[in-house]
Amino acid sequence: MHLLPWLTAAWLFAVGVYGIITSRHYIHLIGCLTVCQSATYLLLLSIGYSWNAGPPIFYDHPPGTAAVDPVMQALVLTDIVVGAAVTALLLVIALQVHKRRGTLDPQALRPLRPDQ
Amino acid sequence: MNLAAALLPVPVLLPLGVAAALLVVSHWLPSPVSTVLAIATALAVAVICAFLAHAALQGPVLQWFGGWTPASSHRPGVVLGISFLADPISAAIAAFVGVLFAAALTFAWGYSQEHSHFEILMLLFLAAMAGFCLTHDLFNLFVWFELMSVAAFALTAYPLGKSSLEGAFNFTIINGLGSFMMLAGVGFLYARTGTLDFTQMGRAVTGIGSDAVLSAGFCLVAAALLTKAAIVPFHMWLSDAHAVAPSPVSVIFSGAMVSVALFALGKIAVQVFVHDDAVMTVARSLFVWLGAATALIGGAMAWAQRHLKRLLAFSTIAHLGIMLVGAAAVAPPAMAGFVLYLFGHGLVKASLFMVAGILLALRASGDEIVLYGKGRDLWPAGIAMSIAGLLLGGLPVGLLHTAADRLEASKPFVSAVIILATALTGAAVLRAAARIFATVSGAPGPEITAPTEREREKDDRPLWLMLLPCFALLVLAFVPGSLVLPFVERAIPALLDPFGHAAAVPAPEERAIESYAPIVLTVCLFALASVRQRATRPLSRTIFKAETLAFRGLQFLHSGLVGDYVVWMIVGLAALALALGAA
Repeated sequence: MHLLPWLTAAWLFAVGVYGIITSRHYIHLIGCLTVCQSATYLLLLSIGYSWNAGPPIFYDHPPGTAAVDPVMQALVLTDIVVGAAVTALLLVIALQVHKRRGTLDPQALRPLRPDQ
Repeated sequence: MNLAAALLPVPVLLPLGVAAALLVVSHWLPSPVSTVLAIATALAVAVICAFLAHAALQGPVLQWFGGWTPASSHRPGVVLGISFLADPISAAIAAFVGVLFAAALTFAWGYSQEHSHFEILMLLFLAAMAGFCLTHDLFNLFVWFELMSVAAFALTAYPLGKSSLEGAFNFTIINGLGSFMMLAGVGFLYARTGTLDFTQMGRAVTGIGSDAVLSAGFCLVAAALLTKAAIVPFHMWLSDAHAVAPSPVSVIFSGAMVSVALFALGKIAVQVFVHDDAVMTVARSLFVWLGAATALIGGAMAWAQRHLKRLLAFSTIAHLGIMLVGAAAVAPPAMAGFVLYLFGHGLVKASLFMVAGILLALRASGDEIVLYGKGRDLWPAGIAMSIAGLLLGGLPVGLLHTAADRLEASKPFVSAVIILATALTGAAVLRAAARIFATVSGAPGPEITAPTEREREKDDRPLWLMLLPCFALLVLAFVPGSLVLPFVERAIPALLDPFGHAAAVPAPEERAIESYAPIVLTVCLFALASVRQRATRPLSRTIFKAETLAFRGLQFLHSGLVGDYVVWMIVGLAALALALGAA
């Protein structure tokens, strides 16, 4: 098993988290969250991957042919769907916030703290 | 297939189906019809889950979807299917969730003006929570976790007010990050054990023992569930989200969502990791301290709030800390206490949020100082709030008291923290009730500097309709613990090992004196708040300044900035990882 995908996943997650922490704009922040999420895709795919194995489709292969783990791919697909829903919701919220407050700076938008 | 197994998927399918149907026909339906339909669905879920809980006392109720049983893979040890498994406790908690939803939907009568979107989101939320309780598969648990989160995000932002949008944004970012951690953890656990089924994974973990990959997996899954359960230092989002969500939604958030997440963590720990020494060591040491810290910070912050819903949100944090201390013992009597506490706290907190909702609707504010004396005409709500405050502060009757007696803390320091946190939250609620409903109050203390807001809720429903579910839940909270305890104690072994025949729970010895400590302290703190004078003399001014400074430090940490919250999450994740590495 290669170390590279693991290190890349960790790096992506760290970069995404750094972006969220230092972000001064909601849309940029949502983008950073998506970067964190791609770290999980990479991690899951590298867990399920095996070298010299084909896709897990046995239509034209005899059963028992080496294939990558389809469970992990199913997990990644589910995650992508969920991630799309969350991102869409966040963007809608950001849009509504901008309509009402005219800014998307997290520093200016703290719930229940109007005068800060 | 017997009736119970056939009914097992219904608590999820029914609300999902009704939600989908409502989405289609709500344009033509008058709005009360969809509300009644939603309430009936929630009640049906409660009844079915109660039946499942009863049936599961005879043995686990199991359903492999699509007939993909472990035998159908024709390879021993390989589980391809996904199953629901109802042990009596899980089913009882799902039934409790159904009852809370029915009460919250009744409270929210007419909340959704057009297209019944509110009811549809609530039903989606209910389906997710039922699935979360009943599933026996780790990835399936993640799916329900996500569905629960997405419904919760949308419901928080539902009023589209300034604060609710900002609170919903913080909530979504923090919980979204938590769910990525959970997914990564699921990946690690699958990589090591090759399965996602709880039972099969438990067997694999028993064979492997302590292992770095397993520890990493548990660390990430635990961090995600602790985020949902708002345990220090993952708790920051809760006070924002619960304070700005519509009151009927806060009822569900505080009454069920957070404690159900803690329950799921306990379930995974005892069913999968019970033979992993590293995890068990961390559970018995670090989790106790995290729980105590949560109780203390939550209690202190609740004491220093003036916005009712924010006060209640911090009290939820405090009580979740207490629950974590109990669950971390992983001993059957304490687990029984934890389950009872979940019921008792959920009922009391739900009725308190309803009182807050009544004030937001009929008096257009949730600020105890702004509302000073304005609740006099609403005296039944005041009675409900005082009773709930006393119960929260350890009044020796009802479910919560019996539960607190069972949650034994091994260290005296931790017990003292629990008593203090209980008293702080109870006294804070009583102080607010006295101000709003009885005009009895001392000068404002540190709460004067706490954040507040001016938003209100729609006042389109009569007082009695809002009081009805509130009092119904309070009456349930007064059910003597001795009525529920036999069921819980009989059911705990099935939670610890669904397919085993573990011994019944031994009854703990009665503790007479300690159990009155919280209520005495509650009353003392309340009295102290009621006689507080304006600080005019130099000495009292110095004391007041020191007090305000300490609370201001705490308030400063809860900054409302999503970046700060993420920093604390990462700190918590690192602490968990270090503890697991050292164990």
